[in-house]
Amino acid sequence: METKNLKDWKNELNICIRCAYCFEGCPVFKITDWETDSARAKIILAYGMLIGDIEPSQYIADKMFQCTYCRDCSERCSANVPVVDVLAAARADLVEAGFASETHKGMVKNVKETGNIFGDKEIKAPVQQGEIPVYIGCQYLARPNQTKMYLKILEKLGVKPLVKDEICCGYPLYALGFRKEFAEHKKKFLEIFPEKEIVALCPTCAAYIHEEYGKDVKHITQFILEHLPEKNLGLKATYHDPCDLSRVMNITEEPREILKKLGIELVEMPRNRKTSHCCGGGGGILMSDVNLSDDIAIVRIKQAIETGAPLLITPCPTCEQVLKKAAATVKEKGEGDITVKNLSDVVWKALRS
Amino acid sequence: MKIDLEKLKGIVGQDNIKNDIADLYVYGSDSSVHNALASVVVRPTTIEQVQEIMRYANAELIPVIARGSGSGMSGQAVPIDGGIVLDLKKMNRIIEIRPADMLCKVEAGLVDDDLNRALKPYGLFYPPLPASSRVATIGGEIANNASGIRSVKYGATRDSVLGMKVVLANGDLVNLGSNTRVEASGYQLDRLMVGSEGTLGIIVEATLLLKPIPKFRCIGRASFNKLEDAGEAISEIIASGASPSMLELMDNIAITAVNTTLKMGLPDVEAIVMFEADGKVKEAVDAEIKFMKEICEKHNGSDIETSYDLKERTKLFAGRKKLFAALSRYKEGLSCTSLADDMAVPYSKMAECAIKIHEIAKRNNVVMTAYGHCGSGCMHTKILMDPTKKEQWEGAKRAVEEVYEYVRSVGGTTSAEHGIGLSKAPAWKKEKADSLKILKAIKKALDPNNILNPHKMQDAPDDWVTATKLRYPVE
Ligand SMILES: Cc1cc2nc3c(=O)[nH]c(=O)nc-3n(C[C@H](O)[C@H](O)[C@H](O)COP(=O)(O)OP(=O)(O)OC[C@H]3O[C@@H](n4cnc5c(N)ncnc54)[C@H](O)[C@@H]3O)c2cc1C
Ligand code: SF4
Ligand code: SF4
Repeated sequence: METKNLKDWKNELNICIRCAYCFEGCPVFKITDWETDSARAKIILAYGMLIGDIEPSQYIADKMFQCTYCRDCSERCSANVPVVDVLAAARADLVEAGFASETHKGMVKNVKETGNIFGDKEIKAPVQQGEIPVYIGCQYLARPNQTKMYLKILEKLGVKPLVKDEICCGYPLYALGFRKEFAEHKKKFLEIFPEKEIVALCPTCAAYIHEEYGKDVKHITQFILEHLPEKNLGLKATYHDPCDLSRVMNITEEPREILKKLGIELVEMPRNRKTSHCCGGGGGILMSDVNLSDDIAIVRIKQAIETGAPLLITPCPTCEQVLKKAAATVKEKGEGDITVKNLSDVVWKALRS
Repeated sequence: MKIDLEKLKGIVGQDNIKNDIADLYVYGSDSSVHNALASVVVRPTTIEQVQEIMRYANAELIPVIARGSGSGMSGQAVPIDGGIVLDLKKMNRIIEIRPADMLCKVEAGLVDDDLNRALKPYGLFYPPLPASSRVATIGGEIANNASGIRSVKYGATRDSVLGMKVVLANGDLVNLGSNTRVEASGYQLDRLMVGSEGTLGIIVEATLLLKPIPKFRCIGRASFNKLEDAGEAISEIIASGASPSMLELMDNIAITAVNTTLKMGLPDVEAIVMFEADGKVKEAVDAEIKFMKEICEKHNGSDIETSYDLKERTKLFAGRKKLFAALSRYKEGLSCTSLADDMAVPYSKMAECAIKIHEIAKRNNVVMTAYGHCGSGCMHTKILMDPTKKEQWEGAKRAVEEVYEYVRSVGGTTSAEHGIGLSKAPAWKKEKADSLKILKAIKKALDPNNILNPHKMQDAPDDWVTATKLRYPVE
């Protein structure tokens, strides 16, 4: 296999000392308990392919894609190896060598044809003129009510959002290894969003637009916090940090400040902020391995239930979706009960009254 | 080697076996420089399954390599002859915690930090605490006699293990040790198992001695313009009867690494000594800290800071904690390899040992630092080198030889806590020349067919560089 992407990471692969510290929080490894599914194994396999010790195979490709992209490994790495970037390169080489899954190929086709990952032509951004460019992202676009709620929140806070006829941020193409397709997509995205400053609703889009396009991205929570008046909802809740918001964007306090301002008593899970446990919804596994995604989400929802809070709040649409499903499963089994809400729900509730 | 996969599946079930080349490659390495291929990875969940696997392997003469998290640094878990890698991480139950007896019983695959999290509500902890406690399993720690920063006060693993259940090479299960703090006579086979690196039996359960979590903890940090002064301060702290719960040294290369790569702003001096005291009574901790501070001052230690506050303590210790990350990034193109990484020398030789390490590194064109749990006589180093260059490996090989030659010359030992495995075996064999015959006889008595982690320690190849394929592509 030609390893033209992995080659760039040879030095980092040499630096990895195989300490296994990235076992500690890898949600995939914690479910399967097989080392081959851990972050360290992915690094070992990437290195093995790069130096020609092992041949690429569908099995290895499956292992490489069995990852939520949560970046817990990068965060815990004892040698500061940017693990997920190395994995992204390995995926790119594997895709070029013909190991992409049909599901992922389908998603790329969707983005090409419709601008969104779902391939749904009906999904359209609620285009409107305004002052601040707001990027909504595929996941929120597929949830028009929630999008509307966020836009109403912004207006209530005295901000006029500018919504364009947007397309996917391109993160799925990049993360799943479709580099060529991404390069074309990137051009289109930049034509639509030439602005330097953008407010993004989805944590993953925010992180990616910041990292890949180098834009000054504010996540909606930062924006809300700047403008939010004090309220008293009198609720008790736990907060789930979306991986991209906490580990990539370093946004951990703003959402908590919002909850405080709304008069919500916050009960933390032991794994919070940068050590937050992934919800299981990222990295494309929701499409390619839903059972694994469900299992990871159940681990997280149980951690939330253990806090004793009746409510879990998160600002990410994907986290919300998978955690809601997990909460329903756990409730059905009689293993606990917790309501999952998007941050917009509570903010809007407070502002409406 | 012919392995009957159906037989193994019959023992542990289809879902607990892996043999794709990718699995075998992954399970063929640890945190050392070595790499080999396992033949099959098997994941037992009960003692009976371990017994059945051993009976089968013994009858068919198949090597069996016990494996925890594969965080060993000397190639201990690398399957040099192939065979069955026995992944024990699923045997991770806490069987019982008995606060009144200050002990707990656990399965061998339990991760150290998970145990300590479970002990916290009881106000207890399991003290060996290696830096790798977040991943290292209790079985792996016992098999390596792991220790850590607090071992100066609480001892190494061997001091905290009361007993264990072990599956022998022929599949028999034996109960070693007791539930008591003392056990006087006899051969104390449980102690023999500690540090045996999977070569004498598979540890499946352990009875561990616990300690109360101290109420007060205070940390101090002193700077020294001369490494020798730091060494003397360490020596005197220990000799004067102080009771530090930590006593660590960092040399100038370690300090520079932390400062340049992580911008931590540690004092730019020849050495830093970190000391800590803990206990139930604050006045006693105060007195210990004052005593150690005065000794540091007497030996020209300066800028001494101390603190009880958790945040401050974390800040004072941060440089040491992040040292590993810093060394990995010391210089573009250099990788941090676990070679000559661990040794122990008499206290009075600590500073000399650090100076020797620097000389040896220079002579052999590699970068080496010196740091460690000096309170327990333990010194660590790393060889920073370009692992793709043949001449660097030649230099590293000479450096390893010279370091351990020096260590032997002062009555030190090759293995302080990181095991022997493959990369330290040649030096260790020289150190144990007098007792090699006995060591081999013990191995033969317990494992006559040589199936338990064969060709490690006393039986390892004489050249660690060629013992296995190196995991780097050497030009
Ligand atoms: C970054 C880093 C820091 C470290 N810091 C320290 C430290 O401070 N102190 C320290 O002592 N060590 C340290 N180590 C070394 C290592 O973590 C320890 O040796 C640890 O005890 C190994 O545990 P493991 O579960 O990973 O064992 P493995 O690496 O899987 O196995 C090591 C050896 O133990 C044997 N073994 C494992 N389980 C069993 C069992 N149940 N029965 C019989 N044999 C078994 C294996 O066969 C092998 O020979 C460090 C390692 C790293 C990478
Ligand atoms: S990104 Fe998350 S799921 Fe993927 S390897 Fe790292 S820790 Fe595991
Ligand atoms: S934590 Fe970092 S250095 Fe350690 S094995 Fe994982 S990637 Fe490698």
